[in-house]
Amino acid sequence: MQNSAQSDPSLVAQFYATRLEAYDEMYAGEEQPLPHWQPLMEELDQLGKEGLDLRRREAQRLLRENGVTFNIHDGLRGAARPWQLDPIPLIISEDEWLVIEDGLRQRAELLNLILVDLYGEQKLLKQGLLPPQLVYAHRGFQRACADIKPLGKRPLVICSSNMARGPDGRMWVIDDRAQSPSGAGYALENRMVMTRIAPTLFRNCHVKRLASFFQPLRDRLVRLAPQNKDNPRIVLLTPGPYSPAYFDHAYLANYLGYTLVQGEDLSVRDGRVWLKSLEGLHQVDVILRRINDEYCDPLELRMDSRLGIAGLLQAARLGNVAIANPIGSAVLENPGLLAFLPGIARFFLDEELKLPSVATWWCGHDLERKFVLENLDKLVIKPIYRRRDQKAIFGAQLNDLEREVLRQRILRRPHLYTGQEVVSFSTAPSLVGDLIQPRHAVLRSFLVAGDDGYQAMPGGLTRISPEVGQLVVSSRAGGHSKDAWVLSREPVQYVSLWQQPKEDQVLPYYEEPLPSRAADSLFWVGRYVERAEGIARLMRAIFLLRREQRDADAYIAKPYLDSLLRALTHVTGAYPGFVEEEEGEALLLTPNEELQSLMLDIDRSGSLVGVLDSFVQVAMTVRDHWPTEIWRIIDAIQSDWIDEESEKLPGNHRREDQLDQLVMQLVAFSGLSAESMTRESGWMLLDIGRRLERALGLIALLRATLVPVQEEGVQNKLMESVLVICDSLSTFRRRYHSYMHLPTVLQLILMDNNHPRSLAYQLASLQKHVTKLPRSRELQYFNSKDRCLLQATTALRLADPVQLSQSAEGEGLYRDLDDLLAGQTENLWRLSDLLTSSYFSHSQLHQLSPPRQDEDDEV
Amino acid sequence: MKYRVTHMTAFVYEGLVGHCYNEARLLPCQHPQQKVLSTELNIDPAPDDHYQRYDYFGNWTNYFSIFKPHEKLEVTATSEVEVSVSPQLNMIESLPWEMVREKLRNVRSGELVEISQFCLSSPSIRVDELLADYAQPSFSAGRPLLDAVHDLMQRIFNEFTYDPDFSTISTPLKQVLEHRSGVCQDFAHLAIGCLRSQGLPARYVSGYVETLPPPGQERLVGADASHAWFSVYQPGIGWVDFDPTNNQMPQEQYITVAHGRDYGDVTPLKGVAYGGGEHELKVSVDVMRLDEQKQDSQKPKP
Repeated sequence: MQNSAQSDPSLVAQFYATRLEAYDEMYAGEEQPLPHWQPLMEELDQLGKEGLDLRRREAQRLLRENGVTFNIHDGLRGAARPWQLDPIPLIISEDEWLVIEDGLRQRAELLNLILVDLYGEQKLLKQGLLPPQLVYAHRGFQRACADIKPLGKRPLVICSSNMARGPDGRMWVIDDRAQSPSGAGYALENRMVMTRIAPTLFRNCHVKRLASFFQPLRDRLVRLAPQNKDNPRIVLLTPGPYSPAYFDHAYLANYLGYTLVQGEDLSVRDGRVWLKSLEGLHQVDVILRRINDEYCDPLELRMDSRLGIAGLLQAARLGNVAIANPIGSAVLENPGLLAFLPGIARFFLDEELKLPSVATWWCGHDLERKFVLENLDKLVIKPIYRRRDQKAIFGAQLNDLEREVLRQRILRRPHLYTGQEVVSFSTAPSLVGDLIQPRHAVLRSFLVAGDDGYQAMPGGLTRISPEVGQLVVSSRAGGHSKDAWVLSREPVQYVSLWQQPKEDQVLPYYEEPLPSRAADSLFWVGRYVERAEGIARLMRAIFLLRREQRDADAYIAKPYLDSLLRALTHVTGAYPGFVEEEEGEALLLTPNEELQSLMLDIDRSGSLVGVLDSFVQVAMTVRDHWPTEIWRIIDAIQSDWIDEESEKLPGNHRREDQLDQLVMQLVAFSGLSAESMTRESGWMLLDIGRRLERALGLIALLRATLVPVQEEGVQNKLMESVLVICDSLSTFRRRYHSYMHLPTVLQLILMDNNHPRSLAYQLASLQKHVTKLPRSRELQYFNSKDRCLLQATTALRLADPVQLSQSAEGEGLYRDLDDLLAGQTENLWRLSDLLTSSYFSHSQLHQLSPPRQDEDDEV
Repeated sequence: MKYRVTHMTAFVYEGLVGHCYNEARLLPCQHPQQKVLSTELNIDPAPDDHYQRYDYFGNWTNYFSIFKPHEKLEVTATSEVEVSVSPQLNMIESLPWEMVREKLRNVRSGELVEISQFCLSSPSIRVDELLADYAQPSFSAGRPLLDAVHDLMQRIFNEFTYDPDFSTISTPLKQVLEHRSGVCQDFAHLAIGCLRSQGLPARYVSGYVETLPPPGQERLVGADASHAWFSVYQPGIGWVDFDPTNNQMPQEQYITVAHGRDYGDVTPLKGVAYGGGEHELKVSVDVMRLDEQKQDSQKPKP
């Protein structure tokens, strides 16, 4: 086909020229784009290459800044990749969508009926509609769940189906997700970005809103609550920041207004599920889970699971908690089911299956197995139970030997395999490079249960294959995503998720409980951010000094620099470093390598980049607490310092400039958090961590620099440096002009209550926060944390700066100052321990019996 | 025959356990040849939560959790049961084994549907060629099912060495087969794997067997152990037990506790504990005959 109408710069024309031999979403085999694509195409033509590219970059910027990522390999450093969004949406007309929607709703209904039946009467097995082996050999069939009463008529609360259009123009379902369908959060984020980069087009096209899916979802979850129906506590259970779709979880939790929790935040007692928070235990009524079935309960399911909650199944069995979807739903994620769906539809609904599945043959039956084995080269082979490490095998891509190996594997355990037709999906116009090109697309839509059936998300998450002609489409394989626009003929009503109170009133205020794990993380974010700043400031001073050293008086310069280097070892805690007796001296002569390592060696404990890495990782675990601007700083630090491609390594930039920039980022983090976080427990813990660390860092610095008695010239230099590092030099100059002597310096950085860098200020802040933290009833009045702080404050108040600056003849150090500082350290460490034991109490999980090995179904 | 069985399990930790969750399948179940007279589960420290239920396989299951810090968990199950002799079966007149296999393979309806899951691999028993090869000599064409299974049991008894030092709970079947040694649990798993390799339904049975001291010696309290054997399903008759460790078909000295696809389904006591560090496990089992008359025969191995 040739395009005749448009001339060269037309994007549409370029696209036209590269069409594949497949059904295309926009043309559907015609000469002209389908009418519902026309507004988009006109806009694209107007935009031109540059305009479109601008949009794409704008989309990427928004996604990056919102921290939208997909972890390709779980848990590996630097593997989280920014989510990729194609600025050209997939467009579906209303008429067509009605047909698809109808089919999806019927399908969800069926899947739900199958779920209820398999864990209940098993009519499907006993009346010959499903072969027993297909169910019993499937690892998703959880026998421990058979006696959990289903939650109402539709326990399958959400499900999703991946669809693609076949060569005949009909939509086919490729597979279904039922245990914890993911991607709804990404779909939502894609939509947010699209409405920002193409607001006019979006409005003119009358695109149906996604809120029409999320509102019923929220209603449904509220109604699932076994108790507290008026105001149930709903949590979203995530495997944590190392899970590939952690963003999806955090984003949804935020959007729906649920507390984001991990397994260790919850605990089962009295047959109920409780959220462990700083304020105590809160009963959880509904769990929207994003953990796969087998990991949900280490007592009854996989014993090696660190993600689940021991006793969860028992709580569900007792009917004290609602779990969406019910544990055991993975039994529906079985490609073998597809072959039997038409019969099941007739059996349960007396209807034909409205939305066909891709043709599938289950190898457990003789005829089907024979067919699959004879057509191995044409089919895609999928095991009935999908595991992480297994991909679908395309027979056509195998050589003779590999095909024979596969044949033998199927013959050994035929009931564990299915053969599926390779469908040539339709293509959709996609921006690839700077051209619009056709790419195979798969649409994942989501359904939610309601009282009268299921409701579909209008549109969903569309993913496109990265390469021309490639049929495998997945986020893991590097695919891009698209928004899917379902058009409406009428202008679309704005649906808001915000609920309106019934009458004019100010709503009562609820402080969300802060999960203990999140409290712990926030405390550590505070500590790491402050530690990083302290190290960066000290390092910056050292690099500056080394640069100036050439011009300075060597007599003073050497001991001066040595003191700062030793201080660096103390502040980082990366011993022995510069403080070791013999090798330390050698290092002090040629400190370059050690400095380099303390700054950039991520595997070295205490190094700057190591602290930054810990900061980013722990900040990630509480990402639902960060406003967007803070998230941007975290992201910038990660990409500057942690990511493998970060550019800090080559010596193009001066070290002190890099450190300078980092200090600015860290200060910005502190400033933004102070300005944007409400003064609730979360912020207090962040600030407690920061104050505690600042106090400890200051003490370490002083003990290494000002406690030893030095030549006057050296001491003066060191005092100046300490004031610089503590960001106090300008204050000092303003107050004391050109005087520089120890008592005055100590007065400012230890005792001055009004100076935010002084030790006294840190102690006062700690005292203020610690008093406000929730405390158990028996400790209402004065607890050990208060005593700890009182002791530290009193010692500091009683100290006299002049007295502290006296040293006995020949002792070589300011003894009183050292004693005071040592006492302070001890009190602060004790405070840290007390906080940990009273608020964070995590303990090690321990198995009573060795985990049994699973030998089943190797595929 | 009446028995009192006392099964004590203790976990002794090096540190304090803050809280723990456990599941016990320690109390015997009722079946036609076994009447349960009384059962008692004693848990020390006393559990804060305790729930009971029948599990998927019909085993009496106790869930309990403890929130008091403790250094030791001791669970004692005491049961009194009366076991009767099961009716004599005619091995030779049972169905040819292939017929049983076909019935289960083509099952489309009825009670055999649920039985058919016992023909498949299970988490601890993966059916493979090695098992099929080992099973093969016992399954000659047309041989009656029970006769073939009896032969398989005898072969395992004769060709394998009982060696308590050889195996742990997680010894793979492959090693058992390779070294020709193991304990009752391994022999039960092995036999089950062999039967499933032939397409036959087999399940794991946990319980106790009465052991008798050598003539002239005192019976030692607590010297017994829990035991395991297997069961094969013959349509029309039901489940038939075999003990490959002692080369006999369980009779009235056998007390059944639970059954499932393999050990994993019937683990007597499993749990998750928070804190505690390393632990030491102590188990003692005592099977005491309540009847007057004494029996002096061979000493079965647990």
